[in-house]
Amino acid sequence: MISDELSAAMPKSIAVSELLKYDKKGKISIICKDKNSSLLYFFTGVVVCTVISFLFMDIDWIKLISRVPSIGDVFFKLMHFDFTKTDLIGRAFAETVSIALLSTIYSMILGLVFGMIAAENIFRIHILSVIVKSFFTFLRAVPTPVWVLLMLVCMGFGPSAGIAGLCVHTTAFFTKSFAQSFEDIPDETIEALEVTGADKITVFTNAVLPAALSQLIAWIGVRFEINFSECAILGMVGAGGIGFVISSNIQAYEYGAAGAAIICVFLFAFAIERLFVRIKGAIK
Amino acid sequence: MECLLKFKNVVKSYGSDSIALDNVSLEINEGEFVSVIGPSGSGKTTFLRSINKLIPVTKGEIYFNGENISDKKGKALRMCRRKIGMVFQNYNLVYRLSVIQNVLHGRLGYMSGLKGILGRYSEEDKKMAVDILGELGLQEYIYNRAADLSGGQKQRVGIARAIMQNPRLLLCDEPIASLDPSSAKVIMDRLYQMTKRRNIACIVNLHQVDVAKKYSTRIIGLSKGNIVFDGKPEELTDSMIEKIYGTSLDNLMLGGNEGA
Amino acid sequence: MHSRIEITNRREKKMYLIFGAAIILLWAVSTFITDFSVTELLVNSGGFWQFLAEDFLPPKLPKGNELINIAQSVATTIAMAVSATTVAGIFAFLVSLFGSEYISPFPAFAKAVRGLATFMRNIPALVWAFILFSSLGIGTGVGFSALLITSFAFMVRAFVETMDEVSKDCVESLLIVGATFPQRVINGILPSCINGFLSWFLYCFEVNIRASTIVGMVGGGGIGLVLFSYLKSFKYHTAFGIILIIAAIVIIVDLFTNKLRKEMYK
Repeated sequence: MISDELSAAMPKSIAVSELLKYDKKGKISIICKDKNSSLLYFFTGVVVCTVISFLFMDIDWIKLISRVPSIGDVFFKLMHFDFTKTDLIGRAFAETVSIALLSTIYSMILGLVFGMIAAENIFRIHILSVIVKSFFTFLRAVPTPVWVLLMLVCMGFGPSAGIAGLCVHTTAFFTKSFAQSFEDIPDETIEALEVTGADKITVFTNAVLPAALSQLIAWIGVRFEINFSECAILGMVGAGGIGFVISSNIQAYEYGAAGAAIICVFLFAFAIERLFVRIKGAIK
Repeated sequence: MECLLKFKNVVKSYGSDSIALDNVSLEINEGEFVSVIGPSGSGKTTFLRSINKLIPVTKGEIYFNGENISDKKGKALRMCRRKIGMVFQNYNLVYRLSVIQNVLHGRLGYMSGLKGILGRYSEEDKKMAVDILGELGLQEYIYNRAADLSGGQKQRVGIARAIMQNPRLLLCDEPIASLDPSSAKVIMDRLYQMTKRRNIACIVNLHQVDVAKKYSTRIIGLSKGNIVFDGKPEELTDSMIEKIYGTSLDNLMLGGNEGA
Repeated sequence: MHSRIEITNRREKKMYLIFGAAIILLWAVSTFITDFSVTELLVNSGGFWQFLAEDFLPPKLPKGNELINIAQSVATTIAMAVSATTVAGIFAFLVSLFGSEYISPFPAFAKAVRGLATFMRNIPALVWAFILFSSLGIGTGVGFSALLITSFAFMVRAFVETMDEVSKDCVESLLIVGATFPQRVINGILPSCINGFLSWFLYCFEVNIRASTIVGMVGGGGIGLVLFSYLKSFKYHTAFGIILIIAAIVIIVDLFTNKLRKEMYK
């Protein structure tokens, strides 16, 4: 009885042949009707650009490749960790972590304020949010070490320049990402409080902030990871911290000490990566 | 009737104390339409997935078509798998590709070399795919992206892909669990009709006892990894259902006669 | 509307409390170590602004040969980012296929592959640059290699995560039809993950544009090196001009990649 029911609903085979499409060789086509060919253009473009880049850079490949085995040598030397400079490395490392922490914390506060202004759905002053957004887009576009270099030039050597330089870029980053998170909050959440006559700041602290909190923490985690590795770099362009220890030791052929410093950087970076993976899991 | 699938003392345990299949032995013949029922965690999914070795078993042997599939690897395993179709609860389509490309995936097991890798299917295969899609009432959607279809339509594409394999056995893992009642009826009707016409044995995991009773030629009841019922639908009494689900009928939502 | 409705459960509340306390503690310790004071910074900020206004503004660009030199180094920086991202992307795709337990034909090695990527990724690009400089010498080729290593490791992780998220189901469905590993890759993984892959690829390109400037500073060549030399020789007006150029490049690239993303998701 079931098959009877179905045979009535059986499609007519005439329609099928009319619906088929054929390719240039007369074979049945199987690709989507709304095929997006931009992918093909994209890949072609990437390949062309890459070839041009290689030709332009004019790298001496033979020389480069002939020296590749010496990477192994350097690694071998780096692996002979030299812990005689432990207190120097320890101090530099603590300084680096502190710079990363402080720049993240101060930027977080600044980012909350500017993010609030930049988000279109809180103060609802369009022109203000556009100005704030474009200003921070500019700040963000300049790489962090450049800011740190500028601060070094202006403020002199020391961790303060590092913190200030990192803060510029980090605040810009937080402003953008926090504003994004605030804007992702459904309008109803905000309207529900607004209709009660609550002022903007009340709305922000009672509706927007709690709703966006888990996302904000995720952003802070991401940025702390970045800031730490940026910090580790800063020393190499002239600021203090672990980066300076690494670069000066490598330049002085003290590979053992450099290796010990690098392994510290690696272990810490690895640890915070794991930590934030777990925090993210807990929030979900 | 010829025996197609044979379980011989199959045990599957996860860890040391969680047993999904507890010494299961059974035979399934050609052309049978078997429903497997049982509460969640009774081992239904493990049972089904062990047949095509998506889940390797801990102990025992599984014979498909006279060959022991549980110790097969690599090419030999692929040769066995291509004769066993499978329909998934979540359809498992490649949503970016067209409907017909998804259906043609069923032929990949029969293709080798560069042609298979690049998906250059033969005209015969394409025609067969079109015919099957027509049979399932999807001829208008041949060139649509699989993502644009409704749930019921996606599941029909899933069935078409499985039929495309020319299988001797079709495994359906809760094929109607994510569908609305009317789409679910269409899917069950098509499954029944298409497997019957092609003499394909079919094993369906189901949550709906009434659906199992309506379509099956045989019902297997699983409870805690053991077969507690194996018989014809009319033999499945109320007390038997209570035994399978381990609770009284009053606590079970068995569904009425919808779609009957 | 003064009665506050509890919207967080106790466990969450406790978590946020611990989080907050940890931040305050860390702030105190870090402030002690670095001796950093906001008030001091603000008090001294007058000098800072004056310095900025007098020594850096207005931005200037040199004429003639030097300008050509700058243009060339800009091109080098972009070329470094483009080539490193592409090559890293290709290798990362091939390697990431072996980094996921669900997809790899050798699931036992998946962890090792991911571990290698983690190791490479958690050493910052500039540290890689220094390690490579000491073995390969300085130059564009080494800058390229340093970017290659970090972007490769980054993309391996991103691609593996994308594949685990997106293509687990369809890989299973191709597995049961008896498809071989290359067949599964081309017909299942690639079409289902391509959007995710490209999105990460473009992101990595954005990062590399910034990173190639920095790697340049320490000897990788390109605009970073030029900027560094101007700063060192106290030509701050020109340096500021170059900073503006870098910002312009980064903004243009971001706009461009955003447009590409929209185009491809259509």
